[in-house]
Amino acid sequence: MAEAVNPEGQVPVTVLTGYLGAGKTTLLNRILSENHGKKYAVVINEFGELGVDNDLVVDTDEEVFEMNNGCICCTVRGDLIRIVTGLMKRRGKFDGIIIETTGLANPAPVAQTFFVDDTVKEKTRLDAIITVVDALNLPQRLIDSAEAEEQIAFADVIVLNKVDLVTTEALSAVEAQIRKINKYAKIHHATKGSVPITELLNQGAFDLNRVLVHAPEFLTSDEHEHNDEIRSMSFEAEKPIDAERFNAWIGALLAEKGGDMLRTKGILSYEGDDRRFAFQAVHMMADGDFIGAWKAGEPRTSRIVFIGRNLNRPQLRRGFESCQVA
Amino acid sequence: MSETAEKILQTRGKTTELDAYVVKASFDRAGTACAFALGDGTVAIKPLAGEAWHRVPTHEGAILALATDAAPQGWITGGDDGHFMRIGPDGAITLIAPFGMRWVDTVTSFTDGRTRLVACSSGKKLMVFDAANTKLKTLEHPSTVTGMVFDGKGKRIAASHYDGASVWLVASRSDSPRKLDWKGSHIGIVMSPDGDSVVTAMQENALHGWRLSDNQHMRMTGYPSKTLGLSFSKSGKWLASSGADSVVLWPFFGGGPMGKPPTELAGGDGITCTYVACHPKDDLVAAAFEDGLVVIADIGSARILPVAGPGRGPVTTLAWSPDGSHLAFGTEGGFAAVIDLSKT
Ligand SMILES: [Zn+2]
Repeated sequence: MAEAVNPEGQVPVTVLTGYLGAGKTTLLNRILSENHGKKYAVVINEFGELGVDNDLVVDTDEEVFEMNNGCICCTVRGDLIRIVTGLMKRRGKFDGIIIETTGLANPAPVAQTFFVDDTVKEKTRLDAIITVVDALNLPQRLIDSAEAEEQIAFADVIVLNKVDLVTTEALSAVEAQIRKINKYAKIHHATKGSVPITELLNQGAFDLNRVLVHAPEFLTSDEHEHNDEIRSMSFEAEKPIDAERFNAWIGALLAEKGGDMLRTKGILSYEGDDRRFAFQAVHMMADGDFIGAWKAGEPRTSRIVFIGRNLNRPQLRRGFESCQVA
Repeated sequence: MSETAEKILQTRGKTTELDAYVVKASFDRAGTACAFALGDGTVAIKPLAGEAWHRVPTHEGAILALATDAAPQGWITGGDDGHFMRIGPDGAITLIAPFGMRWVDTVTSFTDGRTRLVACSSGKKLMVFDAANTKLKTLEHPSTVTGMVFDGKGKRIAASHYDGASVWLVASRSDSPRKLDWKGSHIGIVMSPDGDSVVTAMQENALHGWRLSDNQHMRMTGYPSKTLGLSFSKSGKWLASSGADSVVLWPFFGGGPMGKPPTELAGGDGITCTYVACHPKDDLVAAAFEDGLVVIADIGSARILPVAGPGRGPVTTLAWSPDGSHLAFGTEGGFAAVIDLSKT
């Protein structure tokens, strides 16, 4: 077993989404054929575009079920719980799991699977959600499919494929469209999925600080805002965060507005703790853990990112700031 | 306590390190040997006579399911290589049926001494075969089958899946099941010895039951984690379950478990019970815990007999020999044991 597995022995899981024709399977085959000396278990669905060339391929139907709490956003991929649990029985024979979703898949149930099941939580970690889009067709897909927008919103990494097929102006316009939905994903330009594997796998959950530092400032003043459009925003707090206050605030917020909150991620400096606390949520399902210590001399700025619909910027800012110690 | 426990394991146990995840243990029907299905695709067989352990390569990938064969000796297995296999007492393997890239997730068997049936599920399909490996039935479900069980007479087979369970008549010509509906993901199933109660374990840390004679629903909740072990006592009076920091026993007498608190045994130290198996004759239950502790609890007197101490990691499976004289267990880390509990 290689360095892919973290000290807790958790196997990294990469989720690969993207609408039909964007080049998702081509990217997957590129990842698998690259001479990296690593072995991956690949979970595909039977409606895949192309064959996948790998030793360990699991073919599945995407079986989404609603949790019995009466909430329509609390959905989970039961087939993935079964498959990941099954794969864990053959541990030590692969370095990671890559899950390819269908083109029409909403990424929420896949991501939420990693919050719900004890075994899945214990044995694996969701490393990154990679969304493949293409520069030529994305504008149209954003008009005719709600899933395309959600797949961008959920992404940690976006592979913007087929950049050779559009003009520089068109490419900038497409990139602006992506940034409008999700400012915080890393975007890689590509032709035929030509992105170095080091930019795709083992992204180490969210190196949120780095992402935020590099996030372009987006001008929103002259935009006409539709509330049901997906937007992303982030906030910072200089003073340490009171864990109890934060839990109360985020808990109430997600319980009330979880349906609109697609992804929430934060790196927090809790009062009296030298470690960074990583928080993440998909809709109402949340999870958090201490990750490495703050570096000596590094400003301990807490940051939180929201991606979703009907985000009320002043309210979220006030809420987050009020979690700081008095 | 652990000293006593280790004493029983040391004086009465045959143990080994298998160096692979122990998925499931099962004795054959004649009680001559115990098989351990492993995550590396092999089966380890321990005959009760002698000291040797035999290793039988059976699947290309991990074994996902193991059960005793319908024959007096031997076992059936399902693997993530899509194969449904039979292992003879001598370790000879035969392919009962292949299912391509689809995993064979569950297997089970039935015999009354004359009829011999084996069944497996792969995806949404449940298939029943006779002793000559001829497929008798293919039963389609709305989603992947996660567990299945024959009733005591081999007349019906029940399968768990999303939003409930399906109960099929094995010999019926018309293939439409009795549908037992309850929203959510059901991940395992058992049937009471009298065949009247079907109970599933749910993803959402709860059990759900249906009493077939009067369509009564039974909700059994309060588990901090998922129930992986679910077992009726031979008398049918108790349903033992894992998923809490004790053995949770629901009463299935005097009107059933509705509105009654369960009996809890061997609890109190905050360690999750990972698996349970009821004794084939008496009201005893073997229970295993996350830290490796294995105990036998007498349901009537609440007496606890530790048989293996903690320290070996999560126990994944427990199995009794058909006469109840031997108990086998295996762990995530590959430790396996067969303990002789007969009076000498
Ligand atoms: Zn919800």
